[in-house]
Amino acid sequence: MVFGRSLAIARQDWRVLRRDPFPVIVLVVLPLLLIPFLKPAFRLAFVAEHVRDTAGVEQAVPAMDVTFAFFLVGISSMAFFREHAWRTWDRLRASPATTYEIIVGKITLPLLQAAGQFILVFGLGGTLLGLTVHGSWADLAIVGAAYSLYLVAMGLTVTAICKTYVQANAVTNVGALFLAGLGGALVPHAFLPGWAQSISPAVPSYWAIRGYRAAILGHGDVLPSVVVLLAFAGVFILVAALCFRLDGTKVAWA
Amino acid sequence: MNAGPALIMEGVCKRFNGLRALSSVDLQIEPGEIVVLLGANGAGKTTLMSIAAALSRPDSGTVWVDGVNMLKQPSRGQRRLGIATQQTGVYPTLSVRDNLRFFGELAGLRRGVLDRRLEEVADAFDLIDMLDRPTRLLSVGQARRLHTAMILLHPPPLLLLDEPTAGVDVATRARMLELVGNLAADGSAICYSSHYLMEVDQLEANVAIIHGGRIIARGSPEALISTHGQSAVELRFSGAPPSLSDIGFVQTSGTTMRVAIDHEPELDIAGILATLGASAKHLQGVKLIQPDLESVFRSLTEQQVLRRNHDELEVYGGLRS
Repeated sequence: MVFGRSLAIARQDWRVLRRDPFPVIVLVVLPLLLIPFLKPAFRLAFVAEHVRDTAGVEQAVPAMDVTFAFFLVGISSMAFFREHAWRTWDRLRASPATTYEIIVGKITLPLLQAAGQFILVFGLGGTLLGLTVHGSWADLAIVGAAYSLYLVAMGLTVTAICKTYVQANAVTNVGALFLAGLGGALVPHAFLPGWAQSISPAVPSYWAIRGYRAAILGHGDVLPSVVVLLAFAGVFILVAALCFRLDGTKVAWA
Repeated sequence: MNAGPALIMEGVCKRFNGLRALSSVDLQIEPGEIVVLLGANGAGKTTLMSIAAALSRPDSGTVWVDGVNMLKQPSRGQRRLGIATQQTGVYPTLSVRDNLRFFGELAGLRRGVLDRRLEEVADAFDLIDMLDRPTRLLSVGQARRLHTAMILLHPPPLLLLDEPTAGVDVATRARMLELVGNLAADGSAICYSSHYLMEVDQLEANVAIIHGGRIIARGSPEALISTHGQSAVELRFSGAPPSLSDIGFVQTSGTTMRVAIDHEPELDIAGILATLGASAKHLQGVKLIQPDLESVFRSLTEQQVLRRNHDELEVYGGLRS
């Protein structure tokens, strides 16, 4: 019954998403549209790093996945805020579902969305844009899973800390661009200013791109990236656990 | 199901930002009993229900729902209650069916049992013809019925209904009151908050009057009227009512004067008329007012205001001296 109630909550969120899948569709389509524009720049970066036999897509695809996947932080946060807006949050809290079941139910769909985005961006990136994985698809998937866990944990933290959805949205939008930029997703890491290169290992997106590169190029080990991403996820889960108040008041539309 | 009361609240206190919301609340509701919480806005009705449903923790006191300590095992207790909160909470982008289905799934119902129960509840709440309609297209009354129906897929021992008929039309109110009565007849204990005194009669309910976070009276309407009710005589004059003394509690309004009387109205009326003296020639009408629940409610709550003001004045006087 434990998983039954969490599954019921995830299924309900799926019913809501099915009625309006536009935001999720955009998060898959936009990266695929931008990748062709970024390929040349990332190819130059590979040349600068003396990495041979690359077309730039080997980094452009993971860069866009990392960037746009971050917007799932806002989407997963919205799953909580809309319950407050619709006055169903207290109904959910007063239902037979425990706190644990509610949280697990609420993060299930964002996790699946992250997985789905990963499959579509990398899959279509491979099919349409000539991405070849020289390393291991399994390693690629493991990095993707670790990054997804971090994103969901970040979403929980944003939900816990922000009192309004406007705040959560601002954190997500600014965070997506800032973290993507600093991690080398918007501008190849090799072309970042020196000060940015030195601090970029402090952000999860750097480790996600590094892990994806290792899996795609077949150079290096994905384990450090996976460990660091899981550590970030752990930290944010701890922060969320400390700050999350089930009886807290949230404002969805202001 | 526990053999004892469905709800026991003892000594429950709650403050919000230093303001007292509930103060030493004691409340007990038996299976099959309907208790209507009567109180003005801000009296503490919603806070009481939130604490009973473990949506909020009391600062002190104990809460038991169907034998489960809500402070120690809130999740276990929440499986024994259903709450329809004051504000309508439904999923507007989903259909009536999906809204009902979700809460049925949370209650542990599956497949055939869920489908059958969903249709039974929808039929009982006159929602059967709109199961596939998005709830954002429902009227206020229809959405309110759905809001209440969602907790009844699996009727629990205790139901907390916070102003369930607020904003609905006459027919919907009558239907919902009938359903509430049926639920009590089937054994559910019901805590029902309302502003509408006529619902007490229609539900054949007991009453708990809540004011300033305290339950100031509790019992059947007849017992409350008998204990706290006071008859009155209303005198209507052609001009301003005269100033009278030594005849008890007097209220004047415009050209009328209302005088509280004791248990022998004939003697009291005669005494009052005798006291009028020369003013009697200005008297245009006399009416005997029998006590009812409304007058009891107003009298009790006004006494609480007077008592609180008196206490505050005493404190102030003490500080000044």
